[in-house]
Amino acid sequence: MAAFDHVRNMHDIALKPRLLRSLIREHLPDEKHPFKGPLELSHVVSTVKTHRLLSESLAGVESTDPKAVESWKAAVDAWVDRVFSLASSNMPDKCWAGICLLGVTSQECSSERFLASYSLWLQKLQSYIQYVSESKMVCFFLFKQPPADSHFVKVASCASLSDLFTRMGRFPRIKKDATSQAVKLTQPVLKLLNEDSSEAVWEVAVCLLCTFTTSFPSSIQRCYDTAEAAVVSKIMSGKCSVKLMKELGHCLALLPKSKGDEESWSLMMQKILLRINVHLNDAFQGVEEDSKGNEAMRILVPPGKDHPPPLGGQVVGEASDQRIKRSQQLQISSVSTLMRCSCTMLTSTYPVQVRVPIRSLVVLAGRVLMVDGSSSQAIFPFMTAMQQESICLELPVLHMHSLELLSAIIKSARSQLLPHAAEIVRLLTEYFKRCVLPDLRIKVYSIIRILLMSLGVGMAVYLTQEVIKNAFLDLETIAYEGDQTSSSAYSKASSEILLQPGQKKRKHSSTTVSLDEQTDRVDLEVGVPINPIPISLKIAALETLEALLTVGSALGAESWRPSIDSLLISVATNACKGGWTKEENHSFLSSESVPAWADFQLAALRALLASLLSPTRFRSPNLARGLELFRRGRQETGTKTAEFCAHALLALEVLIHPRALSLIDFSSPSNTSFNVVDSRFPDVYSYGNKQNTPFSSGIMGKGPNDSNSVDDDLYESWLANDDEIEIPETETEKDRDYAEKHSEMFGVSEENRQELVSVHDARIIEAKGDENMVEVQHLQEPIKLDGTVPIVGGGSLAAQISSRVVSDSIELDPVEGKVDTGNNVLAAITDSSDMEGVSTNAATSSLGKNKDSAIDLDSESESIPDIVDGDPDSD
Amino acid sequence: MEPELVMASSPTDAGIGCWDLHSGAELLRYRSCASPSHGLVCVGGRFVASSQLREPSASSGSVLYWSWNKAHAEVKNFPAEPINPLVSNSDGTYIVGGGVSGDIYMWEVPTGRLLRKWHAHYRAVTCLVFSDDQSLLISGAEDGAVRVWSLLMIFDDMRREQAKHLYDYSFSEHTLRVTDIATGYGGCNAIIVSASEDRTCKVWSLSKGKLLRNIVFPSIIDAIALDPGEHVFYAGGRDGKIYIAALTAQGTSSNTYGMHIIGSLADHSKAVTCLAFSADGVLLVSGYEDGMVRVWDTKTHNIVRIFKHGKGPVNNILVVPWMLLNSQSSPIRRHGSSLPPPLEKYANSTDEIAEVKAYLGTHGTSDEPLDASYVSVHTMNSQIEELQQQGSSAAAGMEVERLKLEYRRSMQTVQQWQKMYENLHQFCLDELLDGDQAGG
Repeated sequence: MAAFDHVRNMHDIALKPRLLRSLIREHLPDEKHPFKGPLELSHVVSTVKTHRLLSESLAGVESTDPKAVESWKAAVDAWVDRVFSLASSNMPDKCWAGICLLGVTSQECSSERFLASYSLWLQKLQSYIQYVSESKMVCFFLFKQPPADSHFVKVASCASLSDLFTRMGRFPRIKKDATSQAVKLTQPVLKLLNEDSSEAVWEVAVCLLCTFTTSFPSSIQRCYDTAEAAVVSKIMSGKCSVKLMKELGHCLALLPKSKGDEESWSLMMQKILLRINVHLNDAFQGVEEDSKGNEAMRILVPPGKDHPPPLGGQVVGEASDQRIKRSQQLQISSVSTLMRCSCTMLTSTYPVQVRVPIRSLVVLAGRVLMVDGSSSQAIFPFMTAMQQESICLELPVLHMHSLELLSAIIKSARSQLLPHAAEIVRLLTEYFKRCVLPDLRIKVYSIIRILLMSLGVGMAVYLTQEVIKNAFLDLETIAYEGDQTSSSAYSKASSEILLQPGQKKRKHSSTTVSLDEQTDRVDLEVGVPINPIPISLKIAALETLEALLTVGSALGAESWRPSIDSLLISVATNACKGGWTKEENHSFLSSESVPAWADFQLAALRALLASLLSPTRFRSPNLARGLELFRRGRQETGTKTAEFCAHALLALEVLIHPRALSLIDFSSPSNTSFNVVDSRFPDVYSYGNKQNTPFSSGIMGKGPNDSNSVDDDLYESWLANDDEIEIPETETEKDRDYAEKHSEMFGVSEENRQELVSVHDARIIEAKGDENMVEVQHLQEPIKLDGTVPIVGGGSLAAQISSRVVSDSIELDPVEGKVDTGNNVLAAITDSSDMEGVSTNAATSSLGKNKDSAIDLDSESESIPDIVDGDPDSD
Repeated sequence: MEPELVMASSPTDAGIGCWDLHSGAELLRYRSCASPSHGLVCVGGRFVASSQLREPSASSGSVLYWSWNKAHAEVKNFPAEPINPLVSNSDGTYIVGGGVSGDIYMWEVPTGRLLRKWHAHYRAVTCLVFSDDQSLLISGAEDGAVRVWSLLMIFDDMRREQAKHLYDYSFSEHTLRVTDIATGYGGCNAIIVSASEDRTCKVWSLSKGKLLRNIVFPSIIDAIALDPGEHVFYAGGRDGKIYIAALTAQGTSSNTYGMHIIGSLADHSKAVTCLAFSADGVLLVSGYEDGMVRVWDTKTHNIVRIFKHGKGPVNNILVVPWMLLNSQSSPIRRHGSSLPPPLEKYANSTDEIAEVKAYLGTHGTSDEPLDASYVSVHTMNSQIEELQQQGSSAAAGMEVERLKLEYRRSMQTVQQWQKMYENLHQFCLDELLDGDQAGG
């Protein structure tokens, strides 16, 4: 190749063969060159994958020079030849490398090449598995070391086979061939699982089995029972690592798919549940009444029905019965694997409808959750402290899995959960009362969230009290961290409990944990990170409160809203007090992400937004503080917090300027043209008449003037009156100088309110055409609205009344005195409202106003916030 | 635009007419259906169900199922009494029917099991509606009552015993038979609009359980449809007019019809019996007593399309988006399962509800395995890691293999060397001995 034969750029396909050839030349071993080391291999693979060197695809290439295409093909040919010869090498390391690369090739190469050569590769790879299992002994006798004797080679060839089959699954036309190949391979794979002793081999064999079940379900059918027995015996053996147990459970859960009918799924589920129950009987001896096990059994196998064969067949069943006295830890790990397996069965897809035994599942989960390790000496005199200790050690794991099971049930049953929901809720609330370990609490919170979201209002009614009680418990430390006096009892109690997880009862102890130590930062002076309630738990609590506010903030919410709102604002304020932290995602030596302070801030802000947005009868006292927080948060460029704060401000804008947009303007069909022209300010904007406030017209500049130019007389009259009548609104303001506007407005609003009433005569109302007019008309209607009590004073008065029911209506009196025509009406209204006994809340009053949304009742009353706020302040 | 299906049925046996809303083409007509008002429902997009009008002497009710592609009813159910209104939740997992005795029946669709039956009203139930989030059921009856039921409560035996009454709210302000109910958007903050033969429509707050607004109409209202923006609602009257009543809209000064009523859609025709909105929220599909289905454009107040259903009055209109049909029908076709089993007549009280029949998981259309399912690279990398650590037995095994081969090769070399050495030694020895001999 010429030294200066440059390629056009990195995307030029002429580059690919060159890269590939140099890879082959320099990094791949061959017969003569030794293997330079495993890191070489990973370099080769990553290069191949990044540059898609094997794809031979011309997609996205501008020019296709046939010579380049040809040379690429030749290079790939060379690569395949080399890889194949490596895989046939009898040096184990070269052979291993060849097998690995064959796997990569089978997923990266072009479809044509794959279809042409998959059977060859398949033969090569499967020779390593079958060879081992069938002729191992022979090989030993022959003294010729077979390369496949290395575990590495076995594992690699299983993995590559799995990839090969996965790829084959994408070509429907070779499905038949692939299935028959898979059938041939199933036995050797099961043999590997049964006979081999290396965990790595088991793992990859299980993976291969899973590939068969998902891609070629019918291939397992013939040896379904053997497969089940093999997997179950591994699970029961207790010799496997946690990771392998997971894989085994997953594989067991997938097995019914190979048959794909309703019965095999139900049977598998029933067998698993029975096995779990049997294990629980052993494990819970001494910490639970014996009758519980039988009770559960009655539900698992209804009386009169046959017991299914034991899980994993007769042999495994008996064998494990003999080993029942094995150490508890092993049993528990099998139980948790089985529980996880049933979760997987519930949440993964299945081709046909199945009968989910919800009741059995709930009973089983409930049985575990109700065991707390307490043992009464009277009932169980032979229980030793040792035994108790060992069961208590394992209980959290079991509880976690039971909770997982509950959440899987909820997810799988969806709307059909309804008949069982009450039972689950009872179970959950009962458990929540006693649950102290943070991880478990987090899980309970997450289940509650799922329930709230899926079952809506009805569920909210059930769960509100429980959520609030627990959220308070978990959030109080942060909410009042600056507050030296309050809540120390609670937080101490909870921190105390959390520090002693073994102790299950919640008691208030008089530890001398100083309040300083309860802050959520690491106190450097003391040198101990004192964080009694982990951030992740607080995040979960906040998220659950958010869900509660989202779903059920209206039904019976008056009692708890104020305290929750103030809790959330103080949590958010405290969370953001120390400034904004960048999201730091780097974590050393740990693959799972640890929630950072930024996540907590985000959760706090999300909950705060929900609290501000969910309906109340009057404006949230935290609105200003909340807006300020969001505004500051938005400045944190590039963080999730900033993104969310921008969203929050958008959402709150609607709260501040509520709108009930109509499809068209019904009142004036002639206005259609006006609408078209004045599209910037569609008059369907319900508070459109307020956009001409003194402030806005000044600041917005041309906006209102534009509309003036196309306006009609009605609009003129609005303008004329607006200066006197309209309540100034901040609607066109940028939020930035909100507070400033506020102070400015107080004066105006005071005057305006006087004028508002004084000019309240019929003519102006008629001309103005805003809500007041409509109300007056309504009042003159012969049909008196029971229940709907229009307040003539306009939105301001309505809002006032709504905020302070009794005192405000008294305050109103002097104002009413100045009303000319509206006077009588107003009086009448006040009377009628008194008679109603309805204490003139925002709901009833605002409905009287024609423009008010019935749905946005509460927010509507907040839509005229300045008066409400301005009033007490100006006093 | 997404095609939509308009379905109409009538109390006379004129079948269920189907039209494509946008093209106007008439589609398959399902036979033999004489439905009461509010008795036609599309169950989860999977099939159509309708309760049937019965002779007064009939001892049992009748509910028929039609699958989408067959004109004749495939499944016939015979509930314990005649059912008037029929409703299904959006998932299509439950069917709820209101009986003439005032009982409400709730069946599970996949199994046909009668889950619950409870006495809801003193007289016949006339309409049933699910709330926005499917957790509440709202019923109206001939006695004028509108009641709100929490379905969770219905199934919670323990709470039921504690509670004084089963319902969450009972609104009794209507003096005559309730003719239609509609609920709006917003979960627990939603509004309920109910129409009655007392010539009023009443707006209720679901969260507070209070009457928000009472609107008196010039005629009896038989049908209500809520504008999706809930700016107004449309009320079909027996005088042939569809009145537009304000919810959040501003009123006009010209109040020809009465307070809160801001206009009407009128065609000089006979009574309006049912209303339904299309998915875009602009086209209002209305059924009339003269057997016509008129489609109004609510923006322009014009009729944009007319379908003729039959001679008898239309009393049910459904608008079903095709999207729903296509997405839902595919798994059914794939698995060859037809309609669910018939509904049970009586609840089997001894048999506790121990299981649910359901499709598991999400039914994503893409069964395409993802790249994540390829394992060899991952396995290789972990093996490489193991090799780097040099500690594991498997890695050692491979190393041993390699060393054995090396060893064999080295042994051969050693042997060679040894041989050479021996030769040399022999040679030297011979030389020395020879020299000695020579010297000696």
